[in-house]
Amino acid sequence: MLFNSIEFLIFFTLVSFTYFIIPHRFRWMLLLAASCYFYMAFVPIYILILGFTIVIDYFAGILIENEQGKKRKLYLIMSLVANIGVLAIFKYYNFLNENLSLFLGLASVKNPMPYLSILLPIGLSFHTFQAMSYTIEVYRGNQRAERHFGIYSLYVMFYPQLVAGPIERPQNLLPQLRQKFNFNYARVVEGLKLILWGIFKKLVIADRLALYVNSVYNNASHHNGTTLFLATIFFSFQIYCDFSGYSDIAIGTARVMGFKLMTNFNRPYFAKNIAEFWKRWHISLSTWFKDYLYFSLGGSRVSIPRWYFNLFIVFLVSGLWHGANWTFIIWGAINGCYIIFSNITHPLQSRLSKIAWLSKYRGISQCIQIISTFLMVSFAWIFFRANNISDAFLIVRKIFTRPGSLFFENSSMLIFSFAGIFFLLFAEIKKEYYKGKFSFLNNENWIVRYFSYATLIILILLMGVFDGGQFIYFQF
Amino acid sequence: MFNSIINKIKKKPAYFFLAKLLAFLLLVFAIDYAVGNLLHYFYFKQKGGTEFRTTFSIDNTKADVLIFGSSRANHHYHPYIFEESLKMTYYNTGKDGSSIIYQYAVLQSVLKRYIPKLIILDIVNKEFIEDADTYDRIASLLPYYDSHPEMRRIIELKSRFEKYKLVSKIYPFNSAVLKIATGNTNSSKKRNPDIKGYIPLTRKWNQPLTEYVSTVTYRLDYKKIAFYEAFIRDCEKAGIQLFIFVSPYFGKVAHTDYSFIIADGIAQKYNIPFYDFSTDSLFTSQPSMFADIRHLNDDGAKLYSAKVADKVINHVKK
Repeated sequence: MLFNSIEFLIFFTLVSFTYFIIPHRFRWMLLLAASCYFYMAFVPIYILILGFTIVIDYFAGILIENEQGKKRKLYLIMSLVANIGVLAIFKYYNFLNENLSLFLGLASVKNPMPYLSILLPIGLSFHTFQAMSYTIEVYRGNQRAERHFGIYSLYVMFYPQLVAGPIERPQNLLPQLRQKFNFNYARVVEGLKLILWGIFKKLVIADRLALYVNSVYNNASHHNGTTLFLATIFFSFQIYCDFSGYSDIAIGTARVMGFKLMTNFNRPYFAKNIAEFWKRWHISLSTWFKDYLYFSLGGSRVSIPRWYFNLFIVFLVSGLWHGANWTFIIWGAINGCYIIFSNITHPLQSRLSKIAWLSKYRGISQCIQIISTFLMVSFAWIFFRANNISDAFLIVRKIFTRPGSLFFENSSMLIFSFAGIFFLLFAEIKKEYYKGKFSFLNNENWIVRYFSYATLIILILLMGVFDGGQFIYFQF
Repeated sequence: MFNSIINKIKKKPAYFFLAKLLAFLLLVFAIDYAVGNLLHYFYFKQKGGTEFRTTFSIDNTKADVLIFGSSRANHHYHPYIFEESLKMTYYNTGKDGSSIIYQYAVLQSVLKRYIPKLIILDIVNKEFIEDADTYDRIASLLPYYDSHPEMRRIIELKSRFEKYKLVSKIYPFNSAVLKIATGNTNSSKKRNPDIKGYIPLTRKWNQPLTEYVSTVTYRLDYKKIAFYEAFIRDCEKAGIQLFIFVSPYFGKVAHTDYSFIIADGIAQKYNIPFYDFSTDSLFTSQPSMFADIRHLNDDGAKLYSAKVADKVINHVKK
């Protein structure tokens, strides 16, 4: 069941309505049943995988809390092995196997490992990471083990964020699952506004841009550098609107019922450097890696070479988290290199910013920083989006060496695409630099407010792509 | 009294919310109705372009000879050749990317108005492939849902909730605003000039003949096969002389396409003439007859149309 479907609209309305009319003690049951139904709408049998990790982590949490010393660590390791094991089998096994075959093929040896014909369970990396954050936090003593099996199951399965995040922490979500939320007008409206904006971003911008991006990237060898460059820029906006649109709908859906999920995006394309970009992009995953991997490796409180190594490893793993493909690994590696380069040149950047005549043109220099960061991020997205490594290198080569006339099937395709990007930039510039000014969806005047909501709906009907399909991040 | 009702509702936030939501939905419906009707007016007022040709095929044409098919049908059957050799009037309903489902819907609307004398159905490589895009492309028929009950069951194949989505008056014109705007200008007719629905291509292909990559096996969409058979049956029932053609491709193929074998088999069942020119050497030896590997240019269309007209005349004589 996709967030951008009529089925979800009916499901969400029914669940939210029932949530408020039933007594508080039954609400967790409703949400758990709804979450199971939501997940089973994709591939029903895969709920067993979720059930398996839920049972393991539930007991692991209690055992970790009850035990002292080395046994605590042992239970944590068991829980992590179970979770990572599920990921390894369903997500990485065939990838590793293929590479092993290639490697053994060099020595003319046949790979004895069989190929597994399995579908990747939807949102596997998201709920596995959320489950792992629970046992780690219990182990670290930051979270009490949840004794209520139903509530714990709901923590892993809460349907708004089950398949594509935000990846919640137990300290934020678990207490809310026990909290009683009465119907609150302001909160419901706030949630619905987020949902509306998320749907707009997905249908009007992301899915529209996807038409151009897919037709170009799926036939990369037939297109020139100019077309590939535009498709790459479009993809940067597509993936942002697709994923942040999903997050907005997820956060909004939870908000209607009273839950406050963590912010996942903070206008990342206004970042002035790569480090800032990663503080604004997919925040729930970036902070997960920071809290549980980067700090565990020693963070920045180590020698400089080791620090750079830690940074690189975190981004490499982040790339692998996205998918079992070399394109994602290279994408992670590129971002790791960016971060290291940014840290190496940081003193130079600070000195430059202090030069008097440059500081006079702060606006221009910030603009240059934003554009250059965006272009660097877009360059890395080539590897993320390309169908395979050779396509990615072909695209890079063509962008730099083969300019030409722009491909477009019809002018309306491009006009709608640019119009979508214009709407997005207008909204984001307003939020970033003119907070509280020229408000439309939150205007004090109800006429302006209502007409703004109505305009968004009309634009969705006029310009939305209604058969666009699923969200990019569902595959992870 | 009105104020006291408002005050009572305001005290119960859920009722207050529902009342406001209802008011808001009414506002949205009102705007949707106004904008949708405006788009409807301008959609059917177009002077040229793809949508104009679709409307003309569905609502206006009274031609003796109708051509059905995709872009290949649209670019391959030259009107003057048919009009001169067959001494009949002609209209080409071929549309880019359309499938047998679209073509069957158009046939239903045509048969409601009149009975053409002759229909040529052009089918393509992988005509019966299972492909979600086919159903997305039914969107081009949405503006006709209200006024053409005979098309409804076909349009509803687009998605489970299509009937409900069509409550919106804007939805049928989704993504069509710019096309409607340009279709209402004279430039549209000038930019895409058509001759009785036929659009000539002027480019000349200059690459050597290569193997036309075609998947040997693919999943079949049995609905498409059923529509193909229904198309034949309805023509037969109406007493229309139907011919099925596969027009030329510029490419060698290792295997006859699976869809062609199925289409030929069904045509034989109903005694409908089926001609396959997909690898005809007269065309594959002349790249200059093509605009690209899938489409003949105007010169190629003239040559091909003459061959098709000959086949039709010979068949009628028999």
